[in-house]
Amino acid sequence: MLSHVMRHEARSLAADRTLQAVALLFGAILVYALANGVAWLRVQETTLASAAADDLTRREALAAQIRALEDGTATPAGGDPRAPATLGGARGARLAALPPGPLGALAAGQGDLLPFYYQVSLASNDQSFVQNGEIENPLNLMVGRFDLAFVLIFVLPLLILVVSYNLISAEREQGTLALTLAQPVPLATVVGGKVALRALVVLGAAVALTLAGALIVETDRPGALVLWTVSVTLYALFWFALAVAVNALGRGSAWNATVLVGAWLALVVVVPALVNVAAHLIHPLPSRVEMITAQRDASNDAVNRRSELLARYYEDHPEMVQGLALDTANAAARSWAATEEVNRRLSEVASRYEARLAEQHRLIGRWRFLSPALLAQDALLDAAGTGDARFGRFRGQVMEFAEAWKAFFVPHVLAGTHLSSADLEAVPEFRFVEEPPGALARRVAAPLLVLTGLTLVVAGVGLRLLSRYPVLG
Amino acid sequence: MSATNVGPELRAETAPAQPKGAVLEATGLTRRYGDLAAVDGLDLSVHPGEIYCLLGPNGAGKTTTINLFLGFVAPTSGSARVGGLDVATHPLETKHHLAYIPEQVMLYRNLTGVENLEYFATLAGKGALPRTDLLRILGEAGLPAVAAERRVGTYSKGMRQRVGIAIAIAKGAEALLLDEPTSGLDPKASNEFSALLDGMRQRGVAVLMATHDLFRAKENGTRVGIMRHGRLVVEMTTAELGHADLERVYLDHMRD
Repeated sequence: MLSHVMRHEARSLAADRTLQAVALLFGAILVYALANGVAWLRVQETTLASAAADDLTRREALAAQIRALEDGTATPAGGDPRAPATLGGARGARLAALPPGPLGALAAGQGDLLPFYYQVSLASNDQSFVQNGEIENPLNLMVGRFDLAFVLIFVLPLLILVVSYNLISAEREQGTLALTLAQPVPLATVVGGKVALRALVVLGAAVALTLAGALIVETDRPGALVLWTVSVTLYALFWFALAVAVNALGRGSAWNATVLVGAWLALVVVVPALVNVAAHLIHPLPSRVEMITAQRDASNDAVNRRSELLARYYEDHPEMVQGLALDTANAAARSWAATEEVNRRLSEVASRYEARLAEQHRLIGRWRFLSPALLAQDALLDAAGTGDARFGRFRGQVMEFAEAWKAFFVPHVLAGTHLSSADLEAVPEFRFVEEPPGALARRVAAPLLVLTGLTLVVAGVGLRLLSRYPVLG
Repeated sequence: MSATNVGPELRAETAPAQPKGAVLEATGLTRRYGDLAAVDGLDLSVHPGEIYCLLGPNGAGKTTTINLFLGFVAPTSGSARVGGLDVATHPLETKHHLAYIPEQVMLYRNLTGVENLEYFATLAGKGALPRTDLLRILGEAGLPAVAAERRVGTYSKGMRQRVGIAIAIAKGAEALLLDEPTSGLDPKASNEFSALLDGMRQRGVAVLMATHDLFRAKENGTRVGIMRHGRLVVEMTTAELGHADLERVYLDHMRD
């Protein structure tokens, strides 16, 4: 029976020119959003490729210079590249890049807000990992990119409401409901068929574009694709369930439309905005100006006290003194001591900033359960590999890499020893390690389970109301 | 409660024995809205091959009676039975036996007559009927093939009612419920509808028709009931109708 109702609905909807226009518009929006997402992904790839090429050129030039010095075919000019402060500093900085997420073309997510690559050197400090190296249009940052995730979170519910706000009320208002329910068919079956057909069309379009996006970026993570599809399906089903529940109250189409648009406004726009505002009010971030001022103060102070700081540094790290030719006049060592002091003082400010940011994220993480849009967005960004978690993981690994970098070069800096071309092979390399799929699935399970629960509750209420639906108005 | 205020015509004659097995049967059927009894202790039965015309002023309870048989409203007390099954406890099963033609047969305007019939026939559990069968049934209901292929949005009220009849034929309904079917029809369309109705009666369908049309009631009805304030106040048989002035009986029972 369900298939008969679906076939009938397909005929009716196909004959409705207004719906045809809406479907075309939605299709065009989906295609544009995907194209936009792919374009953003290409920008990221180009940026990363360019940074990697620069990185390689610089390293090869340094290696060539070092070999030439060792061969005696060249003499040091403008600083010895074998000096650890040079090889581990800006000239020898190493690229630490986050590859685009498995479905990065579908959701820019935090990709336009958080850095996706760093240049790690001895100059890297906590501030390096807070500030973004790329300049982005503030308007883009504020409203987010117009990608597939944006369309699915904001526009998809509106489309669902457009095709479902009068699911039953229109039949009653047009008089066809009485004739329909004079047949031996439950109202729930009729509604089920209507919803199934609409869900098939709407989700079909969304999933088709998702697959197209996955093919374009040639993703090798089918799990991410499944997670994305499940998230979109659950989110869409929530809105269908809500439309059915509102219809089942037995009011007119205009009333249904008002209530459903109000629900969209509240759940997709107002609640997420309020959660964000509340997070900033309850856990305000220290200003970046404070951090920059602290850096300047620390830097000036440290430069003025370089010798004193170096002595204190050796007191703190006596292992650095033993067996090494101590030369208090070593400029690089003095400079490193000053850098460490700057880093230490910056770390205090940065840790306050980080702590507040973490509190904000925890609060948003708890309150996201108030909005299906926030739940779905979390799941979609995690599936796309552009969520907070992956960027946080990347930053954590880069910070570990920065420590390994220092551990490699600083002893040489303090000892005043030069490195050789043979040492280049031992210089640390960065390679991002993805989160195991199991861990990702466990993290995403919570929002998806809550979304499933919400959908089932709303659908249950709708079905219960349907059994008492006033056929005659 | 049946015919509590039965007129002298009915009292004077004994109603003829009805064939066994009423398709539609109301027993003490009551529906209240607060203090108002829309239908009050109604007893009636409609047998195969009968056209039972329910007359009465607006608000007399005619439409509510039909809605009670359809299960669109639940009875406060008493029962409405279709094919021997209580509508309240077997809402879906009873609809297998019923067809319904409201005052305005509202169909899907964007679809053709054939597509509408196909949909309602499948809802009625008849499966996917071949197109030739659908056209034949619509033809039996008086809708030519050319019209059947047009969108229903272009149909007149009479044409939509023919589709309604076609649905009843396709369904093979044993009972037909009609609510003011001739209201707004011109005399020619009204006559054609009466002929269709008579055809349904000859098929053995039990017809319950709520109407204001005394002429059609006398013309088509094998029995006539007059309702007032939710009660059946008069019930007349074909034989009684033959020599009774229905208009006078009706007006007599409308006086307080």
